[in-house]
Amino acid sequence: MSIFHSINTSASALTAQRLRMDVISSNMANVDTAGYRRKSVVLQPKEGNFSSFMSQAMSKQTTGAGNGVKVSKIVEDTETPFKLVYDPEHPDSDENGYVELPNVDPLREMVDLISATRSYEANVTVMNASKGMLMKALEIGK
Amino acid sequence: MFCRIRRKTTSFCTNQQIYIFIYEVENLKLFSNTINTLENALNYSSTKQKVIAQNISNADTPGYKAKNVSFKSELNDAMSTVTGKQTNSKHIAIQSSGRAGVTITTDRTTSYNHTGNNVDIDKEMSDLATNQIYYNAMIERISGKFNSLQTVIKGGR
Amino acid sequence: MTISIPSVSKVFQSNAAISTPSTTPYEAQKSFASVLKDSIEKVNEAQNQSDVMTEKLARGENVDLHQVMIASQKASITMSATIEVRNKVIEAYQEVMRMQV
Repeated sequence: MSIFHSINTSASALTAQRLRMDVISSNMANVDTAGYRRKSVVLQPKEGNFSSFMSQAMSKQTTGAGNGVKVSKIVEDTETPFKLVYDPEHPDSDENGYVELPNVDPLREMVDLISATRSYEANVTVMNASKGMLMKALEIGK
Repeated sequence: MFCRIRRKTTSFCTNQQIYIFIYEVENLKLFSNTINTLENALNYSSTKQKVIAQNISNADTPGYKAKNVSFKSELNDAMSTVTGKQTNSKHIAIQSSGRAGVTITTDRTTSYNHTGNNVDIDKEMSDLATNQIYYNAMIERISGKFNSLQTVIKGGR
Repeated sequence: MTISIPSVSKVFQSNAAISTPSTTPYEAQKSFASVLKDSIEKVNEAQNQSDVMTEKLARGENVDLHQVMIASQKASITMSATIEVRNKVIEAYQEVMRMQV
């Protein structure tokens, strides 16, 4: 838990939110691709590695502030069904003439996008606040 | 700056009766209790900043419960000052761990949405602003105290 | 009415006893020396602590920035205080030595 601990935490959140936005933009780009399943990210709190636990145990620093967030996996949404559209002339249509269009709902993707943007901005604010505090601490005694 | 001065001895100069008092300085405490308090406040504020960063970064993680910082209660404080007794010089000293007076707790009792996440983003953002101002104020004060000590020691230069 | 000489001398003696406690000049010098040594050890300790903190900071280990800054300020102030005390003591000694006997 060095002096940059909170900056690292915020940085991990920025990475996770950016990855989430990438997945959303991929969904939006593939909204008309037949056979595409909607993807989403699964977020999890990040655990520390052994050296951080060791150094926390050996010193008198407060333990347990956590290490931020990470994307544990990108899953495909297999629960909502494909949109079946009757279009026999489409090259990807099956034997009954139905085409499986992706289960991407643009409205839901836009809401997710806004949520990701707001989280990103909030974490940028936190990072600026942490940086301001560190710069101020450097001025003790001047 | 506190020092308790106590007259310790007197001694004579042989030709004339000149008493030379040698004062012994007891308990020269350069750094007052205020500086100690400010240091503890800075520790608390720095821990709170880490916890706020953690909470905001996990604001939409399912199942995440918000963490909080609190000063250790009196009981914990008394319990944490247990030190191991060393009957042999080779014994390892058992010391109380954890910083003076600050603990991180997790609030598992509430849940704000269906994913089990209970981070209140508005509270966290306002805590962030408050904490920043508090930290800056503590830094200013402790810096001022150090500077005034320097001025006093250097005799006004 | 005559004041008996023995009683007067006894009063003088008791006064002298009150104003001269039992420590000798040697013991006084020794205690002053030990106080000086104590304060120099404290300065050394403060400087060491500040060094340890700075090294931890440089290696990115478990330390807070404000702790490092505060430790370094404390070391610097302790050092300044000891130096000033030393200066004053030397000045006082030189002043005493300049006295015409």
